[in-house]
Amino acid sequence: MKDQGHYIASPAAPGDYVVGAGEKLDLFYFVHPGEDRDIRVRVHLTGPGASVSLAGVYLSGGSEKVSIHTEIYHEAQGCTSDQLFNGIASGSAAVSFYGRIVVAPGADRTEAYQVNHNIVLSDKAKVDTRPQLEIYADDVKCSHGATVGSLNADEEFYMRSRGIPQKEAKVLQMISFVAPVLERIADPGERERTAAEVEEAIRKML
Amino acid sequence: MDRNEENRIINDIASQKEYREGFVTEVDQEYLPKGLNEDIIRRISQLKDEPEWLLEFRLGAFRRWEKMEQPQWGHLDMPPIDYQDIIYYAAPKKNADRPKEIDPKLAETFEKLGIPVKERDVLAGVVAVDAVFDSVSVATTFRKTLAEKGIIFCSFSEAVREHGDLVRKYLASVVPVGDNYFAALNSAVFSDGSFCYIPKGVKCPMELSSYFRINAAGTGQFERTLIVADEGSQVSYMEGCTAPMRDENQLHAAVVEIVVEKDADVKYSTVQNWYPGDSNGKGGILNLVTKRGICKGSGAHLSWTQVETGSAITWKYPSTILKGDYSSSEFYSVAVTNNFQQADTGTKMIHIGRGTRSRIISKGISAGHSQNSYRGLVQILPGAEGARNHSQCDSLLIGKDCGAHTFPDIRSANPSAVVEHEATTSKISEDELFYCNQRGIAPEDAVGLIVNGYAKEVLSRLPMEFAVEAQKLLQVSLEGSVG
Repeated sequence: MKDQGHYIASPAAPGDYVVGAGEKLDLFYFVHPGEDRDIRVRVHLTGPGASVSLAGVYLSGGSEKVSIHTEIYHEAQGCTSDQLFNGIASGSAAVSFYGRIVVAPGADRTEAYQVNHNIVLSDKAKVDTRPQLEIYADDVKCSHGATVGSLNADEEFYMRSRGIPQKEAKVLQMISFVAPVLERIADPGERERTAAEVEEAIRKML
Repeated sequence: MDRNEENRIINDIASQKEYREGFVTEVDQEYLPKGLNEDIIRRISQLKDEPEWLLEFRLGAFRRWEKMEQPQWGHLDMPPIDYQDIIYYAAPKKNADRPKEIDPKLAETFEKLGIPVKERDVLAGVVAVDAVFDSVSVATTFRKTLAEKGIIFCSFSEAVREHGDLVRKYLASVVPVGDNYFAALNSAVFSDGSFCYIPKGVKCPMELSSYFRINAAGTGQFERTLIVADEGSQVSYMEGCTAPMRDENQLHAAVVEIVVEKDADVKYSTVQNWYPGDSNGKGGILNLVTKRGICKGSGAHLSWTQVETGSAITWKYPSTILKGDYSSSEFYSVAVTNNFQQADTGTKMIHIGRGTRSRIISKGISAGHSQNSYRGLVQILPGAEGARNHSQCDSLLIGKDCGAHTFPDIRSANPSAVVEHEATTSKISEDELFYCNQRGIAPEDAVGLIVNGYAKEVLSRLPMEFAVEAQKLLQVSLEGSVG
């Protein structure tokens, strides 16, 4: 299990965090190939200036069931939340993402961002994504984005025309797809170790 | 005999009694008694002189409806609806019953919308539509031109009488009777609506609008619209009334079905402006509508455009089933809520065929104490090779007591499909307002200006005459939301 939590607040219950004034919570998830996971995180931002960053990579190439469920409650002013989950589904994997952001009345100057990108490589793999925004305050900046797509054929052609074998080209595409998430890992040593693991996993998927 | 069966029979007997009483008084009254049971439905069908199959259709729907429960999943605070306290059929008003003059508040709104004086009378119900010479002539000239092309455009009842086979073939083919609670209710009690058939290869020479149609003004809360565009045909259909209707009844549950055959092109535009309730959230229409189209053949195209400014509660998802290969659909929406209005609206795009494409642009504007939600589903089935969707949902907040919510759902089961969704939420910035104020534009006008700019992408999709009114409507709807 490679979850690393660099958080100040400790979970009140498993996966249930309370982040107070000025505190910062930073969580990273890596779902390995062959691993069924049910990730549930709930974060309450209860003090002014609290912030949370959630990031995750999932690489599911068999018959895994991966479910990611995040809930972020902005309950105080000037809090920020930032979520980035990128993953690849192949084989007959079933991935579902549910992310909910609730901005309570009066939680002004909230900034909440959420992104979930998916790549589907096989006919039988399935991806569902449901990013949800519930906003009850007006002085906010909130956005979410979700995509489901495949590897870009033009990019692959570009690399192959320059002598990169097809498989290697796909590996590069997949690595670059998850790279933005890896950059969220603050500790350089940790980041490098995780990047190496991700590469190894990707090579095994193809 | 189990208990349910027993109850049903008891109910049947009980309702028969009601029917007898209803029958006696019916002669003197313009409407059927309150309540809903099989006999009421039989009476509606009888009053409309319907064929046996349609009565069976209604009864079948009613029996389904009885077993269903009102859904609660909407992000809405819905008042309980007493379905037995509703009059399901009312004959058109007689001239003697009409109000003598227009409610001054309504007149004020008409003035702002720039509706011609003659039309104002019609919309307020002061005169019967058929008394307005202009409308009659307009309608009849339309009819002649359309008939020459073989286009059928008439009221639903007329279609049942004169084009029974066509209606029977397509009715409930897109929205099945048991699709949802309100669709089942509508199927049981629908009063009237529009029927439109465009034959093969015909391009409709004008924008069809229920606004111009004589019987449209008298249709009730349960209308049924059926549009069929045969192979290679093209039509633009505008629905809804563009002026505020004060309506005594609370519930509006319509069903719209659109069938788009191979290479046909249908554009469906709505400007919905039912009574939204007063500024304290009292009254108003509950607008619970099922709208769905199917792109049956390859290359079919269906475009939805909606401007929602009215109703106390709006709950609707105009949807498209993209069955034909390379068929495409678009959904453009502006939903404005003010005071205590609530809207939970969006779309569903179901990709079945190869190379199907869909695009969703949704602009929500919330002000006052209102709640405005976008809810959408984009589903890619395994056979939808190379399907493509792009969704863009923006929300604009005006004031600190309102809410804006986005609930998209993306389900992909094909590796070659590409689905993208993005959403943003923000408010009108102080800087923008200050800029306008500084140049002598009053705060309210400034908000109108900014909102119109924000919604322009959708408004520009509306047919010309609708677009002008829709812009003014946005301004009227947001009155009193600033300062």
